[in-house]
Amino acid sequence: MTEERTRALVTALVVGGLVLTSTVALASPLVDARPAHEIPVTERADADLGSPTADGWSSVPAADVSLSSAPSSVPNAADTSVDRVHVQAARSDGDFYVRLQWTDPSRNVSADGTRAFVDAAAVQFPTDTSSRPPIAMGGTDNRVNVWYWSGDVGPQELRAGGAGTTTPFASTAISANATYEDGTWTVVYSRSVTAEGDGRTDLGSTDTLDVAFAVWDGSNGERSGQKAVSEWHYFLTGTGPQGPPYQTLLWTVAGVAIVGVVAVTAFGILRAREGGAD
Amino acid sequence: MSTNQDTNIDVAEGVDHQVAMVMDLNKCIGCQTCTIACKDLWTEGGGRDYMYWNNVETKPGEGYPRGWEESGGGWTDDGSERVAGEIPSREEYGRPWEFNHSEIMYEGSDEPLRPRDGAEWGPNWDEDEGAGEYPNSYYFYLPRICNHCTHPSCVEACPRQALYKREEDGIVLVDQERCRGYRYCVEGCPYKKVFYNTVSKKSEKCIFCYPRLEGEGPDGETYAPACAEECPPQLRLVGFLDDEDGPIYKLVEEYEVALPLHPEFRTQPNVYYIPPYAPGQHTEEGETVDVDRIPRGYLRDLFGDGVDEALDTIERERQRARQGADSELMELLQHKNPAKQYRLGVFDDDD
Repeated sequence: MTEERTRALVTALVVGGLVLTSTVALASPLVDARPAHEIPVTERADADLGSPTADGWSSVPAADVSLSSAPSSVPNAADTSVDRVHVQAARSDGDFYVRLQWTDPSRNVSADGTRAFVDAAAVQFPTDTSSRPPIAMGGTDNRVNVWYWSGDVGPQELRAGGAGTTTPFASTAISANATYEDGTWTVVYSRSVTAEGDGRTDLGSTDTLDVAFAVWDGSNGERSGQKAVSEWHYFLTGTGPQGPPYQTLLWTVAGVAIVGVVAVTAFGILRAREGGAD
Repeated sequence: MSTNQDTNIDVAEGVDHQVAMVMDLNKCIGCQTCTIACKDLWTEGGGRDYMYWNNVETKPGEGYPRGWEESGGGWTDDGSERVAGEIPSREEYGRPWEFNHSEIMYEGSDEPLRPRDGAEWGPNWDEDEGAGEYPNSYYFYLPRICNHCTHPSCVEACPRQALYKREEDGIVLVDQERCRGYRYCVEGCPYKKVFYNTVSKKSEKCIFCYPRLEGEGPDGETYAPACAEECPPQLRLVGFLDDEDGPIYKLVEEYEVALPLHPEFRTQPNVYYIPPYAPGQHTEEGETVDVDRIPRGYLRDLFGDGVDEALDTIERERQRARQGADSELMELLQHKNPAKQYRLGVFDDDD
């Protein structure tokens, strides 16, 4: 009877421990452990994210993306001044939002002078999301769709198939709003997820959307290929406090399996013991 | 670069023929009629106010934009790499001045009409200043347009191929659809003849009046560029460098008396100049002595080493003409027959 009791207690402890582990695994957000080039896209219903200063952005996870001078043949290509951009992304009510923040001590929003250049930023996607184009403005067979914002003209939607081929769309599908405060630019881009068009990235086609960033400092004469750029990153759609959906699914399956195995084992032991008693 | 097989003239790769202009500096009176003809036609407003696609500057002098000869651009000596250049500031081009019109017209001021503060530089600011000392001071006028170079560093500087040489005549143009206002062409041109439109935010330049060449005017006739046609002393000849029967070919290639400006920039300009003559220096007593009034070294700086031979050739041919002999060169330099001064339709039937 004592042995029986001990066995039952051990079984209960093991089962309880496994169930607890599964539950903890299910509930942990895991956002902090994401890969270096992953940027989560948060799902938000009815959130007002169109303004750079909207409250909704405070709870959207951010990624710090390193920038370095783009390889380019233009003069002074290696002389760029911005080395980091803060990136947030969200989906809400069928719109895709990207918010960029970077520090720049001077606000340059006019190209009215012969030597004046403007601050600008860009978000680059593969036109065809099934493969990564060359990072520098894509390639002939592997084009890119660029969301460009500049301090003087605002948003422009561009397509390109290699350096020097940038072409504006006849009509843009993106909008952008920007603020400059305390030496920091904040720009929010948005586009309908379902916007269609030749050369326009299908934002709904993948959960891991390749993306790259660029920033120009107008006061440093930056324009064209003289720009600070990131490597390819990817937006992971479906991330949020619960973690990405496939992760939840996997942990659920694992948890159920573990519980099942333990239950079957315990049941087997009990039956074996009962059989032994007969 | 390719060589026109008919004429052995080097024209740019992919270009059939090359338009060219010869300006005889001995005829320029600095009246700026060419400047105004151009401005009226092409650069009257809309962000072009400060631009002079054609300007006339006094040499020696800082020119327009101020100090352009030291602003970089062009190619290294072997022509293989571009030289870094600068974009001139608005001050170097010259800002429009504010005048005291309202005080004089409406407030009864009896001050002289004059610019308010800030009139410290402008196009043609140093007009007629020149160099040297009395009685041997000197200056001459230098009209300048885009040189529509055979090896244009502005074209090469553009990362978007927005600038190009027209296939049919080598005119250098800026495709306004492609241009995104980066201004690498502005800094890349050593003559500073590409300009940034501060309203359209794109670059613009002399178009060699190509619509006039193509007979796009109301009467459908072909005309030379306005700067040439409107010139009171008619100092410009217009045609094709590779038209062997034309005066430009003869002056540039045969007699070698028409020279490019600053050939050391290695862009191979297609505007050529007959270098200026000046009387010899004078003594204190007013006697003419056999010393160049315009230092030869200065002319070499502007037009290269070919200037010595060019001036010798002109001097020799002048002597021949004075002695009653025939001189084709003197006739070319004096000719008033418009059919020869402007030869534009010669390659129209080519296909």
